[in-house]
Amino acid sequence: MAVFLQSLISGILIGGVYALIGIGLTLIFGVMRVINFAHGDILMVGMYLTYMIFTLLGIDPFVSVLITFPLMFLFGGALQKVFINRVLDALAQNQILLTIGLGLIMSNTVMLIFTSDYKILTTSYSSATIKVGGGVSVSTPLLISFLITAAITAALYWFLLKTDTGQAIRATAQDRDAAQLMGINVKRMSIIAFGLGSALAGTAGALISPTYYIFPQVGSVFTLKAFVITVLGGMGSVVGATLGGVLIGITESMSAVYISSGWKDVVVFVLFLLVLLFKPSGLMGKSRT
Amino acid sequence: MNNSILKSALIALLLAGLLIVPRFVESPYALHMMILLFMSVAQGQSWNILGGYAGQHSVGHAAYFGVGAYTTMMLMHSKGVVPWVGVWAGVAAVIVVALIIGSICFRLRGPYFVLASIAVAEIMRLSAINLTPLTNGAEGILATEIPAFKIGATVITDFVTKVPFYYIGLFLVLLTLGVTYWVQHSKLGYFFQAIREDQDAAHSLGINIALYKNIGLVISAVLTSLAGSFYGIYVGFVDPPTVLGLDVSVQIMLICIIGGMGTIWGPVLGSLILVPLSEALRSNMITDLLVKIGMVNADSKIGLFLKENLSHAHVLLYGILVVLVILFMPDGLMGFVKKLALRRKREAV
Repeated sequence: MAVFLQSLISGILIGGVYALIGIGLTLIFGVMRVINFAHGDILMVGMYLTYMIFTLLGIDPFVSVLITFPLMFLFGGALQKVFINRVLDALAQNQILLTIGLGLIMSNTVMLIFTSDYKILTTSYSSATIKVGGGVSVSTPLLISFLITAAITAALYWFLLKTDTGQAIRATAQDRDAAQLMGINVKRMSIIAFGLGSALAGTAGALISPTYYIFPQVGSVFTLKAFVITVLGGMGSVVGATLGGVLIGITESMSAVYISSGWKDVVVFVLFLLVLLFKPSGLMGKSRT
Repeated sequence: MNNSILKSALIALLLAGLLIVPRFVESPYALHMMILLFMSVAQGQSWNILGGYAGQHSVGHAAYFGVGAYTTMMLMHSKGVVPWVGVWAGVAAVIVVALIIGSICFRLRGPYFVLASIAVAEIMRLSAINLTPLTNGAEGILATEIPAFKIGATVITDFVTKVPFYYIGLFLVLLTLGVTYWVQHSKLGYFFQAIREDQDAAHSLGINIALYKNIGLVISAVLTSLAGSFYGIYVGFVDPPTVLGLDVSVQIMLICIIGGMGTIWGPVLGSLILVPLSEALRSNMITDLLVKIGMVNADSKIGLFLKENLSHAHVLLYGILVVLVILFMPDGLMGFVKKLALRRKREAV
């Protein structure tokens, strides 16, 4: 029982970060109908940014989120304005290829600068744990990152539901043409959505940097995970991505314990294929015909 | 003068030239480059049949490449099965895999199909890592020696030099080109193109979409598997990232994107650009050139840095190329050239 509880809790904690990654991807997809294959690489950029801030300025990764978030927002906005904006009406495969290309550029530029050595960001609490009782303990950095994730997600919900810009983003996601007719600056919303998506991915990167190896190719793992999460939750649904993230986190940690850690990613991909086949609209998505 | 006769004569001349190259070129490096080029053309052309003609943009072709390479290598390594038998075992395995993948992925369209194809290839890669007794896991399989090719007691070739590989590679190129030509000019090809242009319209015209997509996939997968087996034997080593990784799928697709999808010469053109460029980066030719023309001092910090790192970053070039191609010539080089030709014709009129 303790093992079960332990893996459930770790799953939920890591699932919080996954949710952040998934929400970013789903926001971008919702507003622009573009599947961002560079999502994991944007996360990787966030990781290196955090690493640099930590080693050069000595700022704790959880504090430096305050710097990473706006910087990654600008980075994403610029990416949208310079590249993505030009292919909004192009074929889906061209959009996918463009983002794959951008991802390759990011990971290889980082590799040129930092080499492909694994970097580790060690904080005083990197391997600390908190005992919860009943033989269950929680990793301190995971717990902190989960709390920050929860706060960011709550703030994001508030932003999307209550502010004018948030509502405009949701309107654009619902119907781009109608939103434009209502006088919403759709182009600006796209830039904001891509910026936000990138900021969320970058923040997720910052939050996992104390517990994860940092290397240029780390992104592709997270790109794939982000797809699984968003498809599971329903493409374009923020609530779905939140749920999907937590579900994938739990699935991973459960299959690592009860099957084997080598096969846990296979379990996730099989789940992904099953969802694609039997419920392609996902948990929260509206079915599109 | 008849244009098509001229064309055939040119192609025959080119082929004759390619056939006698190993007689005059002895440098193993030059032959190696040609073999890489052949491999790239074969890979691109195989993808082109499914992606270019039938419009199913698989980003999971590493699955077929890897299954071909792994089957041949595993049989040779553990059972001592000679590669020219193993290759066909690889083909058989790939047909089974392709039909399973097809039955799953072809129910999906557009971006969902792309995602599913990636997921399947990733499952294959992770399985190769985890099925250690079969695949030797992450360490990969190293073939120390390739048994000679014998018919009866006569040794046809012993694979000591690169020359036999050169001819096998050339054969692969001709095979894939031939199949592509056949597809383009047969009813099958018209069905493929109809599916590519408008799936629903094709369906309403009575084309069995699932059947033809699967036929396209099997043809494409079998050819990719042959290229994979060839790669495995030529390099003598396979491990999960080099034959089953996502990079492999992307590279296969890039050959066609850069050259031009759905054209016979697109993958050839794409390979002619990609292979020399990435080889120039890999072998530090570009750094040497920069040093030679005096732009960078070889012993300066920048020179050492470039020498150290530029060779690892040939994938960066793929990234830049794909972004430029998508933004400025979304139909690839062939499409770009055609557009230019069309414009010139119009101006002439």
